[in-house]
Amino acid sequence: MTKAIKINNLKYSYDSDQNLFDDFNLDIETGEWVALVGHNGSGKSTLAKLILGLIAATGGTISVFDDILSPETVYRIREQIGMVFQNPDNQFVGATVADDVAFGLENKQVASIEMPRLIEEALTIVDMQAFKDREPHMLSGGQKQRVALASVLALKPKIIILDEATAMLDPAGRQMVMATLTSLRERFGKALTLITITHDMDEAALADRVVVINDGQLILDGTPHQVFSQQTMLRDSGLELPFSGELASQLHNHPEKYLDERELIQWLSDLSK
Amino acid sequence: MNNIMIGRFVPGESLIHRLDPRTKMIGTFIYIFVMLWANNWQTYLWSAVFVVGLIKFTGQPFKLYWDGLKPIFWLILFTVILQLLFTPGSPVLWHLGPLSVTVPGVVNAIYVMVRFVLIILMSTILTLTTPPTSIANAIESLLGPLKKIKVPVAELALMLSIALRFVPLLMDETQKIMNAQKSRGMSFSTGGPIKRAKAIIPLLIPLFVGALQRALDLANAMEVRGFKDAVQRTRYRILHYDRNDYIAFFTIVFFVIIFFGIKIVTGF
Repeated sequence: MTKAIKINNLKYSYDSDQNLFDDFNLDIETGEWVALVGHNGSGKSTLAKLILGLIAATGGTISVFDDILSPETVYRIREQIGMVFQNPDNQFVGATVADDVAFGLENKQVASIEMPRLIEEALTIVDMQAFKDREPHMLSGGQKQRVALASVLALKPKIIILDEATAMLDPAGRQMVMATLTSLRERFGKALTLITITHDMDEAALADRVVVINDGQLILDGTPHQVFSQQTMLRDSGLELPFSGELASQLHNHPEKYLDERELIQWLSDLSK
Repeated sequence: MNNIMIGRFVPGESLIHRLDPRTKMIGTFIYIFVMLWANNWQTYLWSAVFVVGLIKFTGQPFKLYWDGLKPIFWLILFTVILQLLFTPGSPVLWHLGPLSVTVPGVVNAIYVMVRFVLIILMSTILTLTTPPTSIANAIESLLGPLKKIKVPVAELALMLSIALRFVPLLMDETQKIMNAQKSRGMSFSTGGPIKRAKAIIPLLIPLFVGALQRALDLANAMEVRGFKDAVQRTRYRILHYDRNDYIAFFTIVFFVIIFFGIKIVTGF
């Protein structure tokens, strides 16, 4: 099976004397949901910009579905990848929700008569069709990010990258976006590769695979259970555990390994037996 | 920042909302151009009746239009006072040194005020019923012929529509920065003019830094969504004239004919 994203010996530096990435390797399978986690400045957002060709690597290769990223392929690659950014206000181009979803379609030179149907379809997936004619700045944070997702979905990408898309939201907005992601997963299954860049561990816990990056190094890679069981390594890279893990570690008599919320509830109720 | 009404769009379903933005722009220009020829109370009255009629048709409360007038209240007042004090003629009602209030002065002052108010009302009808992107589209379409002489019309229109979209955001941001600084003891409204001017600097710097950051983010967001240049794109909103637009053009022509009719009857 072809890899959705394959990163080989990637090198990148902001200034000449210090490399942020030095021989970085990462493969992402088609249809996987991968959470890239790391504290601020760990290089996780830079990685997303490198994959999309928004900044150029100083060495190594990035390929997307076997297409090696280069100035010639960059537009073709961008057609496969959609990205939602951190600040919901800074990614709207259109004056209304519908106009914004249309922006990507206009760039793709979709015929005008096709657009209303595609816009309606994309907004329905994220359950924002009722807000079609609203102005983006009148929406809540969670709604804005769902519109941003719809704008991306309208282009039918094979990969969606969410770069800290919930970081600026309130807890309700965050829940809303996470629920939308889970529903996307159910809807598209293996046809959609999801990459969520985050430092929110509860968000990371939803993924199939968690990759921890620290100072441009891949330090942990595995299922949420495997990664969150490495408590000391996580803490050393300035990260916390998901809520269930934090709670478990505070218990006097705590479980051996990481349990998610449902497992922890089970474990706790088994104690009382 | 809700008190600034210039350029604000209020969604609606009225006949005027549904007109092609080009119709509204051309209509507004024709109206303003013709209205500047008004020189007696009959022509001003006809111009005013026409605007009030249009306002009725937009289905928006008159208060919104009144709010649109407020920001330029001082400008109107200033012009009116100048007209009042410096128009020569007789009979003189009051004078002090070089200043005198004359009857033609009073009449002129009223005319100038009405002219101002009508121009603002008419342009408010345009902006209130037309989304900024439609205005940008209309400008792009109307300036279309300039493409032949290599004017980057499509780029300019896109820049304009993005700029318009960021106006409310930057206003909110200004308010936030002001509040943040006020909470730390900064005062924007006390002291002499120099102290006040200085108080603006710590407001402008974070505003500019923030605006540049937004611009960079937006550029990334646009590129990721496949933006290459403003030319190789299709359009979601296609402009086309329909029956209502022809009726609107007819209405404007009707206004112009009656207007000059009145002028001829009242002897210019």
